Amino acid sequence: MKKMILGLCMMVVLAMGLGGCATQKDLEVVQAREKAIAAKADQAAQDAENARMAADEAIAKANTAIERAEGAEQRAIERERIAAEKERMAEEKAKKADEMFKKSMKK
Amino acid sequence: MIRKRILERLPLFNRFHLTLVLMAILFATGCADMRGYLAKSLPLPGYPEDAIQRNDFVVGKDEDVIGRLATIRLERGDTLPDIARHFSLGINNISAANPGVDVWVPGAWERILLPLNFILPDTRRDGIVINLATMRLFYYQKNDDRLDVSTYPIGVGTEERPTPMGEMVITRKKHRPTWYVPASIAADHRKKGDPLPPEVPPGPLNPLGEYALYLSEPSYLIHGTNKPASIGLRATNGCIRLYPEDIERLFEKAPVKTPVLIINQPYLVGRRDGIVYLEAHTPFQESATANWKRAYAKLKHIENQSGSLLDWKKVKEVVIEARGIPVPVSADGDGVGMAAAQPIRLRHPGRLFGQPEIPAFNTDAWYVLAASLRDRTDAQRLAAIINHQGPPIPARVLSEGDQHRVLAGPFDNERAARDAARRLKIDLELDAVLFET
Repeated sequence: MKKMILGLCMMVVLAMGLGGCATQKDLEVVQAREKAIAAKADQAAQDAENARMAADEAIAKANTAIERAEGAEQRAIERERIAAEKERMAEEKAKKADEMFKKSMKK
Repeated sequence: MIRKRILERLPLFNRFHLTLVLMAILFATGCADMRGYLAKSLPLPGYPEDAIQRNDFVVGKDEDVIGRLATIRLERGDTLPDIARHFSLGINNISAANPGVDVWVPGAWERILLPLNFILPDTRRDGIVINLATMRLFYYQKNDDRLDVSTYPIGVGTEERPTPMGEMVITRKKHRPTWYVPASIAADHRKKGDPLPPEVPPGPLNPLGEYALYLSEPSYLIHGTNKPASIGLRATNGCIRLYPEDIERLFEKAPVKTPVLIINQPYLVGRRDGIVYLEAHTPFQESATANWKRAYAKLKHIENQSGSLLDWKKVKEVVIEARGIPVPVSADGDGVGMAAAQPIRLRHPGRLFGQPEIPAFNTDAWYVLAASLRDRTDAQRLAAIINHQGPPIPARVLSEGDQHRVLAGPFDNERAARDAARRLKIDLELDAVLFET
């Protein structure tokens, strides 16, 4: 009986051992998968970070471009204003000269 | 030896190059001689400038429009008063016809419109008719069945001393008249610090010029001028001024007792080849509304009488622009008639009649520094204005960096330079500085 129980126990232990062996392998597979997923996650995170950085950079560039455009527009407006002012002054000077000339043409 | 070897190696190539070099040398030496020949012999675009009539026209039966428009391309140094005088136009005519063009410093090669067509005033066509608003004189002469008209630009009285209007006659004519200075003008000059003698004998300082036609209206004359650039301005004390060359012709043509009618018609309506034309000038402030009402009534009358419609939008444009050019305003004007209103292109004559000449720079003479300016255009404008004074004062611009000096002269002596400086002060309010080179 004892032998039989021992035999059964041994069979159970063996079965458990054998069963245990299968779990370890599975675990390794799972661990490997986990590692791969983690690596992918890291890569995705890295990619996301890179994309965010690229987006930030693009936004920064766009902002700089907008600033430059605004600056250029301001400068253009200023140049236009100066040109208009110059034209007005030139017209005024021409008018003044013309009036002076007309006065000089009297007897 | 080397040359021979090269020639032997590439005989055709080198001979070709040698020929080219020789031809280039021959061409370069011939350039100066060839230029004049080419200018004479090559057909240049446009008509010769004397192809256009400026003063003398035949008036067509039942027609009111004479002459035609022309254009000319400016050359470096031309001013609008120079072009105006060459084509017997007033400064008012040429300025109004070319809005936006600088009178004294126009762009070189700019194409200018010459308003050499005119609508005859709505008056009798006999003797002299003077239209103050357009600053133009018409002298009608009947030759059998033909009616001839000679027309000249004029200068008229200022707003303060306007030219009187109405019927008068020429009472006498005088070659080389003496100017007896009227008390009012003497007082004005005294006030300016430029006292005048009681009478000014004939000569360059006489504002009457070389010829005078005395009118029956006491103290009023049709005369020449020593300030030709004033033609087309309201600058007289009521007299009528003509260019020296124009008064000479009128003096020869118009006898004593010629009737003179002085009117003020800024809006002129007329017909040629069945087309209705409108010519609008900037009216004198004091007479604008009444004159437009008269012109409007005439246009309406033409429209009702002829049954042909007028382009009223065009009429409005012509009045607003006031360019002093007859513009077709018939709504149903045919293409042929409209084409006749197109300007003809004239060639520049090279030298313009009466254009001020600036003597060569003289290192042994007196000069007057009229102004020192930072803007080159301002300096050129001032020099041109000084050049067009009467009598003329030669002036030029000497540029150095951004400093542009307007220099009047040369003068033979200190006295002449001092006189010029005094005139610059009185007439142009310039504080001029004398110096001897």
